[in-house]
Amino acid sequence: MKIVVCAKLAPDASDIEVRSDGSISLDRAEWRIGSFDLQAIEAAVRLRDAHGGSVTALSAGPQRINHSKLRKDLLSRGPDELVLVAEDVLNGADTAVTAQVLAAAVRKIGAVDLVLTGEGSADLYFQQVGLQLGELLEVPAFNAVSKIEVKDSGVRIERSLEEETEVLELPLPAVLAVTTDIHTPRLPNMKEILLAAKKPVYEWSLADLELENAPEPRVEAVSLRAPRPVERKRILIEGSPEEAAQSLAGYLVKEGVV
Amino acid sequence: MDFRWTEEQELLIQSLEELLQREAPETLMAELDARHEFPFKPWQALADNGILALGIPEEYGGVPADITTLTLVCETLGKYALPLGIIYSLGIITIRDIIQFGSEEIKAKVLGGFVRGDLPVALGITEPQAGSDAAAMKATAQIDGDDVIFNGQKMYCTLAKIAKYILLMTRDAQGTNPYASISMWLLPTDTPGLRFNILNKVGWWTVPTYEVFIENARVPRKNLVGQFNSGWPQLMANFEIERLALCAASVGAAEAALEDSLSYANRRVQFGNPIGSYQAVQHILTDMAIKNENMRNYIYKVAWMMDQGQSVRHEHAMCKLYVARAACEVTDSAVQIMGGLGYMMDHRVQRLWRDIRLMRIGGGTDEIMYNIAGPQLLKHARKS
Repeated sequence: MKIVVCAKLAPDASDIEVRSDGSISLDRAEWRIGSFDLQAIEAAVRLRDAHGGSVTALSAGPQRINHSKLRKDLLSRGPDELVLVAEDVLNGADTAVTAQVLAAAVRKIGAVDLVLTGEGSADLYFQQVGLQLGELLEVPAFNAVSKIEVKDSGVRIERSLEEETEVLELPLPAVLAVTTDIHTPRLPNMKEILLAAKKPVYEWSLADLELENAPEPRVEAVSLRAPRPVERKRILIEGSPEEAAQSLAGYLVKEGVV
Repeated sequence: MDFRWTEEQELLIQSLEELLQREAPETLMAELDARHEFPFKPWQALADNGILALGIPEEYGGVPADITTLTLVCETLGKYALPLGIIYSLGIITIRDIIQFGSEEIKAKVLGGFVRGDLPVALGITEPQAGSDAAAMKATAQIDGDDVIFNGQKMYCTLAKIAKYILLMTRDAQGTNPYASISMWLLPTDTPGLRFNILNKVGWWTVPTYEVFIENARVPRKNLVGQFNSGWPQLMANFEIERLALCAASVGAAEAALEDSLSYANRRVQFGNPIGSYQAVQHILTDMAIKNENMRNYIYKVAWMMDQGQSVRHEHAMCKLYVARAACEVTDSAVQIMGGLGYMMDHRVQRLWRDIRLMRIGGGTDEIMYNIAGPQLLKHARKS
């Protein structure tokens, strides 16, 4: 089984700095593999280990993602090879552009049986790319996938929905966006980290992807601001449950919450 | 001068930090401490994630790692779960002795087992009358055909009962020079004739220490590690890295103490303001941070020197002396910053404070470190 797993490399949210005007600085942020994509990588590697084949990690973004530590980090988690589409024009790409670039890269990789993604990106979390990717590749695409089993020539998947678990059988190829609870991602050890430096990395430009049309964004980011911090009220409610509930309701009305 | 870690070191430490947060969270370490229980599960997690394989030869399942990398691992263990850093550091000397001097048979069973999660080999050196003057030991090894029979008593033998082996040091009573009369043996802890008495300590509650009584304990003669009567120089060969590892774990603990103190100083409000806004508290915090930075730089420098193959004969002793004292001061300051809460058993800093105190005694006391460093400094001065 030939699996492609898509991973977004993005600034670590814990390193984001908020300037006094509310704007956000990513200058000092360390870039990492999206936390939701780690589950997709783990699912891909487990499927390969159980059924054979290969795992290609795929990432698209600005030049910044073509960094040796990020490459080693990705490959130390189990994929056999890495394809990077790193161009600064992809900085801040919306889901449509990202999906178009990834779809072209998947076509160029060729003969792919399964594409896995995380449930959303760690920075913007639109949860759109997986489904758009399936549409562009014209293959079945599902999100909220919490279990994948290889069955005959296809896969049997479980989807964790709000009040039920949906079980589906799909032909391959397919695109699946996995949930955070599908597996606990492995932690790379030194052997895997050292091995990662020896695995192949393919750097493709947008021109290499031979897109018929330049990817068109569908979203225009007007501004990005951190919410203003609100002073905590530090209200301590005491009394019997009835009195406390009444008091709480009073505070909520007073604060305009309800 | 380049202070950066390699990318591989950065990735390894990131991975280890996440592992410790998953497998050895503070809540678990506090519970184990309160119950005086050894951290078996977190230790196995270190093995399962390849941490124990670091620095072990590849033919025994290990992965190459330089001393700087091992130092970073000890520091990280010390910061997130000090007992694991202590256990790992204690194992470094015995495991490296086995690597360097053990027979193929000994290496295969001990090193392979360690990589898979066996506890480190305990070190049986100190005796009731032989502490800092370790060469005054009296435990004997009597050759009897293909076997050897041990008799004697060992003190402060950490891990002895729960480990699979003790690296036992014995003295040849016939030898006139004590330093040329000591031998090193691998003694399985299930050998008949061994009796263990657990010792109650002020700290290190999850890392048990024993008094070991040895009466006619018989093992095959091939359990000799290295050469007969060469045990002293063999042991000394790896004391330097053990001390560095203990220092690194101490630095990690001091970093944890500072983090707790900073967080508390920002949160705790007295006289209408966070206590961190008062200069008296800021001065303590700044002194703690300076000590941590100095300690870190010192251990990295010594590790780097060892990786370069340079002698650290007096540097390692000065480093141990400085770090052990500075880490005690930092953890003590953390208790002070946190006031009454710091003295309560519910908070981590009291544990760090108790556990770190032993660093000025174990692995060579402060006074012995002076004894090592002082003459070496004078010797160097005479040469130059």
